[in-house]
Amino acid sequence: MFKSYRNMLLSAVVVAAASTTLFAGSDASRTYANGKKVIDGGSTYPVKKGMTSLYHVNEKAHKTSFKLGRSATKDEINAWNIDVMPDGTGLPEGHGTVEEGDALYDEKCSSCHADFGTGGAGYPALQKGNAYEGQKSLTNQRVDGNDEGPIRVFGTYWPHASTLWWYIKTGMPHPHPMSLTDNEVYALCAYIVSINEIKIDGEELDDDYELNRKKFLKIVMPNKDGFIPKIDGKNGVENARKFFNDFKNYGNGTRCMKNCFKGKPVLARISGTGISDYQPPISEKKELPKKKAGGAAEHPGKKVYDASCAVCHGTDAMGAPMLGDKKAWAPRIKQGMDTLYDHAIHGLNGMPPKGGTSLPDAKIKEVVDYMVSKAK
Amino acid sequence: MTKISKASETESVQSSRRDFFRKSAAFSVSAMAAASVMAPVKIDAKELKGDPAILEEQPWATKLGYPVTHNLYGQPSPYEHHVTRRNTKLLSSGNYYASIAMCPIQDLEGIITPNGLFFSRCHGGVAEIDPNEHRLMIHGLVEKPIVLTMDELKRYPSVSRIHFIECPANGGPEWRGPQFPALQFAKGMMSCAEWTGVYVKDIIKDLGLKPNARWMLAEGGDSSHMGRTVPIDKVLDDAMIVWAQNGEALRPEQGYPIRLLVPGWEGNLCVKWLARLEFASEPWYAKEETAKYTALKKSGKAIQHFYANEVNSVITSPCPEKPWTHLKKGDIVEIEGLAWSGMGTIEGVDISFDGGKNWVEASLKGLVLPKAWTRFSYIYKYEGKPLLLSSRARDDAGHIQPTVKHERDVMGVESVYHRNGIFTWEVTAKGEVNNVQVLS
Repeated sequence: MFKSYRNMLLSAVVVAAASTTLFAGSDASRTYANGKKVIDGGSTYPVKKGMTSLYHVNEKAHKTSFKLGRSATKDEINAWNIDVMPDGTGLPEGHGTVEEGDALYDEKCSSCHADFGTGGAGYPALQKGNAYEGQKSLTNQRVDGNDEGPIRVFGTYWPHASTLWWYIKTGMPHPHPMSLTDNEVYALCAYIVSINEIKIDGEELDDDYELNRKKFLKIVMPNKDGFIPKIDGKNGVENARKFFNDFKNYGNGTRCMKNCFKGKPVLARISGTGISDYQPPISEKKELPKKKAGGAAEHPGKKVYDASCAVCHGTDAMGAPMLGDKKAWAPRIKQGMDTLYDHAIHGLNGMPPKGGTSLPDAKIKEVVDYMVSKAK
Repeated sequence: MTKISKASETESVQSSRRDFFRKSAAFSVSAMAAASVMAPVKIDAKELKGDPAILEEQPWATKLGYPVTHNLYGQPSPYEHHVTRRNTKLLSSGNYYASIAMCPIQDLEGIITPNGLFFSRCHGGVAEIDPNEHRLMIHGLVEKPIVLTMDELKRYPSVSRIHFIECPANGGPEWRGPQFPALQFAKGMMSCAEWTGVYVKDIIKDLGLKPNARWMLAEGGDSSHMGRTVPIDKVLDDAMIVWAQNGEALRPEQGYPIRLLVPGWEGNLCVKWLARLEFASEPWYAKEETAKYTALKKSGKAIQHFYANEVNSVITSPCPEKPWTHLKKGDIVEIEGLAWSGMGTIEGVDISFDGGKNWVEASLKGLVLPKAWTRFSYIYKYEGKPLLLSSRARDDAGHIQPTVKHERDVMGVESVYHRNGIFTWEVTAKGEVNNVQVLS
């Protein structure tokens, strides 16, 4: 068995009690069968005498070829192969200007990420000023009264722009992913690169700047060298193996048993009451739950609300009136149902037409009825 | 002869009972229960000395319970309704569709988390996938790219393993100091279950993996299309595609019908609603591999591909939710906790009563398995004095939990992820339990 803490530092007294842990039937190993160290710096458990650790193994089962499934067709692979890599693999042709991106952003993104990508209310910021300046903040530590932390937004932190294209195409807008055309994604990328003040080939992106595939691949992110270990290229995996097998890179304790520090322990405490807005509140009481009154049939608008509207109206974080918030709804209800229907169907401020859905007007009206009913 | 006579005796007793029931005119069980003549005999318990829970008849002892047809899928006792996952706005990206629900680890026993309480993290809501319309595609640097239905996938030889899954941000909000007055929120971004599925290596051994295949992308079929990059070494070691959890199909919150399981590594790598595995010679830089799931160090450089959740532990009893306020001086009490390491098997746990100045070895108990929760225990005589209770685990890879000071020296306070510094509870003279950090 590999004895793990044979090199441990004992600052005072050696522990008297011997470790009692035994691994019946199997030994942990720090190397794979090919002689290489385990990539994460940890242990692996080769099968010996039909066992791995405490588990029995049917070795024949794992040596048998099952040959299940069928060949994937080229069209199937193309349909699902949606990832985009830094070298441009998977990045389609297309184009879009900063100005087009700005308009699209206001329509489809600003309701969460706020104007100019400033973020807020839990939604990530997409920029915090000039990315080259912001990148310098990554050494900031919020200690000793310094409350300026590192800025970790797209422009200041991300190593590759390819992630932005891939993310927007397959994950955004959050309630309606996969709804943007390639050109729209290029336009949004152009806008986001511009508000981060990132230059492409030395050029600042003004409103007329048109981004395309070729220019996109020329984007050099300010923090491209900010990550360890280096995982690119032929030696990428080996670099990771070396890095994680050196505990100094992320710290390791020592098994001191007596007088491990001088004086009394220095304590950090929760400031104030800490974070305790838990839902539901913590309870250890074993009692029957309180029965809820009613049991009326579900409102016809609830289903659509849950599927398409709750993402914004479920909280008060986004400026949208929250479901059940009587105070927020009262002035709106005063405007009359026709006005509410009109705003819901045609959009207002951050609210996209029909909440970004393509549902018939009648369905949208049902949702409005439902939301109003909850505010009375 | 004796046997026969006994049998006939029994029969005659039964028939006389039947006669009695007929005569009592209460033919159905429910009618019997309702009949006032069948009400329990009342005793005036006030005359007697002792516990009313013993002296008085309880309703459940004198009335029928519900029939076996009532809950076709069993539910916990209604008295346990407070044992639930919980959430907080702070840990949500603006809404509860990209958020986390914490596991009530203060209320769990042993090393297996019930499926309904397993912590839940999603990036685009919880998808409800029709397994008949779900496929797994494996392509890229393989000679034979394939598509599998869920039925085909389940024909591979199955493997069952007990492993924890932990979000690497577990405890992450506390890098700059303690914040949560509750164990559920301080360490509840993890759970442990028995998983059943197939080793990825058992599938790809027939597909002709090309020698330059160094990385695997795993991508979900839900609306977030979340992808993560896994190095080939892990794929060929113990990575699994799992369809079952604690003996039943995965819950939707855990990726039904299938998820990737990368034992011991960042929970985020265990991609749920798994639809696609692609092999390539270069890593991907997915959206959760840049701004998120990278650990920024003091130097301004961030650790990327930070695979394993390092050795860690926490005392679960006492904790803020389960304080010692009911104990009297001299009471004997069991201190219990959980230890775990994504890098191997727990070798031992030490505990300290003075914030880590002096330590004693605790006992491990129950099953001790690689990359699984491990219980530790220590029997203690309560003295009613203030304590600083800490635990420190070590694993068979040679990794030992660092002090908060050491971890901060190496990483700084802005890493967000992979915090495994020694955890300390302050027990006050009254037995209340507070979340503190020892900076010595």
